[in-house]
Amino acid sequence: MSTARFAALAERLLRDGIPPRRVRRLIAELEVHFDDLVAELRSTGLSASESEREAAIRLGPEDALAASILARPELHSWARRWPGVAFGVLPLLSLPAQFVLSMFVAAQVFSLATHHLGFTALRPGPVPWICAGLQIYALWIAPILAAGVASYFAARQRAPLLWPIAAGTVIALVGALTNAGLDWSPTVPHGVLSGGIGFPPRGLSQWLRIALTLLVGLSPLLLLLRSKGRDMTREDLHQSA
Amino acid sequence: MAQSPSLMSGVPELLVLRLTSAREMYGYEIARAIRERTHDAISLGEGVLYPALHVLEERGFLRTRRRTVSGRTRVYYQITPAGQRRLDALGEEWRRIAGGVQSVLAST
Repeated sequence: MSTARFAALAERLLRDGIPPRRVRRLIAELEVHFDDLVAELRSTGLSASESEREAAIRLGPEDALAASILARPELHSWARRWPGVAFGVLPLLSLPAQFVLSMFVAAQVFSLATHHLGFTALRPGPVPWICAGLQIYALWIAPILAAGVASYFAARQRAPLLWPIAAGTVIALVGALTNAGLDWSPTVPHGVLSGGIGFPPRGLSQWLRIALTLLVGLSPLLLLLRSKGRDMTREDLHQSA
Repeated sequence: MAQSPSLMSGVPELLVLRLTSAREMYGYEIARAIRERTHDAISLGEGVLYPALHVLEERGFLRTRRRTVSGRTRVYYQITPAGQRRLDALGEEWRRIAGGVQSVLAST
């Protein structure tokens, strides 16, 4: 038997807020059950098509299956119960959290390098590279990650597009306004690690950060919309055939 | 014969807990056991069994184990200690109600 038999049910469950992992398991169990029923019915002498028809009746109509699953609040994902929190607030909060975390790691690296490993501004070793990497992460990658993860999970759970798009846009704008840097030279022997947020955007790089965050961060949603468009075209063709 | 939903309320849970208290079973086995042991008196849409199984697992009354046999992966369900306590309570309640209903039916 093929997964196609339950594909419409799976899509319906995802759209109505059942988490993908649970949908996968439910569908897998229904498939195995269907196959067992077909085997049982065939052993009584029914033909393959009769067995499949009877098995589908015994399993129950798709509407009843969907209703019995959707009626159980325990089976719904928390993210779909509170989409604003899951796909809006949490990704937004993750941005300052990632920024602070990367600055904290940079400070620890700097502290370890200067106090325990003996690096100095004149002999900095890999410290500037590590700090530059963390700076790139905080300014460029963190916003993309925040928007991308929200949009990926929203696409996977067929959540309303409003939240991830709104959150992605705000993340892109806030992300473009943040700045961070390490000043470590012979004139500043102890080094200064700085970070902040401010207006206005100071040039091309800010616009580039906004564009990259929106483009890469929201790409899971764009891919979903594209694949949905393809499925709809296929359905249209089947209907017209 | 059509079954009254209100009379059937809670019955699948009771049957599933009872059946899985004897040994671990997968969904098809449970549905088949219900059919056979009730002589088709209780006929659920068999697919409807799965949300009930998942909810019982969510509530900690059942635990699951995956086993692959002949290339097919089946999910086996078995009662937990919490499920056993739930079964005892439900069974007691069911016997009390059934006894009460039976005595009314017998007296009229």
